[in-house]
Amino acid sequence: MKKTYYDKVHTWGRIWSITALLVLFSVPLAISVYYNAWPEMNSLFSALLKVLPIFWISAVVEVITYTPMLGAGGTYLSFVTGNITNLKLPCGVNAMKSANVKANSEEGEVISTIAIGVSAIVTTVIIAVGVLAFAPFLGKLTDPESILAPAFDRVTPALFGALLASYLRKYWRISILPLLVGCIVLVFVPTLGAGTLLFVTIIVSILGVFALSKFNLLESKKK
Amino acid sequence: MDFRQNGFMYALGFIVVAFVIVQSAFFIRKAWKRAKELGIESSVLKTTVTSSAVFTVAPAIAILATVIVLSKALGLVLPWIRLSVIGNLAYESTAASAVLGNLNQAITDKGDFSTVAWVMTIGSCLPLVLMPILCKKLHSKIGGALSGDSKVGKLGDYISAGAFIGIITAFVATSINGKSSDGKTDGGFLSIAVLIVAVLLYLLLETIATKFNLKKFEPFVMPLAMFGAMGAAVLLTSVLPAELVTHSWFN
Repeated sequence: MKKTYYDKVHTWGRIWSITALLVLFSVPLAISVYYNAWPEMNSLFSALLKVLPIFWISAVVEVITYTPMLGAGGTYLSFVTGNITNLKLPCGVNAMKSANVKANSEEGEVISTIAIGVSAIVTTVIIAVGVLAFAPFLGKLTDPESILAPAFDRVTPALFGALLASYLRKYWRISILPLLVGCIVLVFVPTLGAGTLLFVTIIVSILGVFALSKFNLLESKKK
Repeated sequence: MDFRQNGFMYALGFIVVAFVIVQSAFFIRKAWKRAKELGIESSVLKTTVTSSAVFTVAPAIAILATVIVLSKALGLVLPWIRLSVIGNLAYESTAASAVLGNLNQAITDKGDFSTVAWVMTIGSCLPLVLMPILCKKLHSKIGGALSGDSKVGKLGDYISAGAFIGIITAFVATSINGKSSDGKTDGGFLSIAVLIVAVLLYLLLETIATKFNLKKFEPFVMPLAMFGAMGAAVLLTSVLPAELVTHSWFN
């Protein structure tokens, strides 16, 4: 049977994921071998015990949540390069909206993959160039006393405000409930991070879609 | 020479960077070829590349800033590597703090340095283990249910949009009344003002693009709204009284 494009993407993705895992582990291994400095087991396990419950539970939830939204190629790329919620996901969504393609179509798949791939390369190059050439300069730019510091401190509202606006025209009915519930939850637990809160808002948002659909309120009745 | 950022560490950094770039280029090439087979015009693909690159600049600089934040304790190269592969500031700083206790002092012990690198790696590796097992199943089960060919598919489009909106509203809500771990970016006057500027600027630019049929301008509406809102943060901080700009619900 002839393999579809999706089948091929999953085959490539699996190979790249396993290779990425090897590259990832080669870093601490090389550091330990080169410096002949192996971690003390007690110290290692004690630190892992503090971080693994949070990191690994989040990882499982993130894989389940983001995979259907990013497209197959975009998913494999995003989970290797990281910074998904603050960069790769918005970038993929922006590209699909601009190209006027649906997230779960093959057109959406290729556009999302190209956008996330470009984003990964640009990010990697910016960080590499920044580390090599601009580190002292950037420290001054993002220093709390710098005139530009407020801009870098407010990347999140600037980015997600623009993203929310892109959905408001068509989906304002869906947007109200999760935003309201998110704010109410934060009144009671203000330190709850967005990475945790989003599991609440996603569920509320999807339940809202079902409720609006049941009462035929998803779309304006005016034609 | 500082063992945290010597030639050996930089060589490791370059290997990781090369890997990320080669992998990304591989997927872009395959997707590009498929896009042509699907009949997507070159101009659409080129615009996707340009707008995604522009879109990425500001968040990438913010990520670079986090490398600088972590560099005080860990040197430049380890945070650079970690934030190029899977990492993010919250994970990496938590992992480093779990070993070192705090991130205010430069790490001097090679054993501690190696322990930090192992904890960061083991802590963040699970998605790469899960992806080869789960990705295809998740796509075929959930993605299939959401594909939009029927009435059910139309509802699927709304569910898909609803999931995105769920993610977006979580970040918007934390900007309105969330309390940040560093206390610098708590919800309050400035973050709400930046949010409002971003929304209004987007709607304004989108209206202009639609009204004057500026197809090539459309993909840049979002990055421009984002940069404009960041500029508003600088402007408001410069012209408004400090007590107003620094107002948050928690001080």
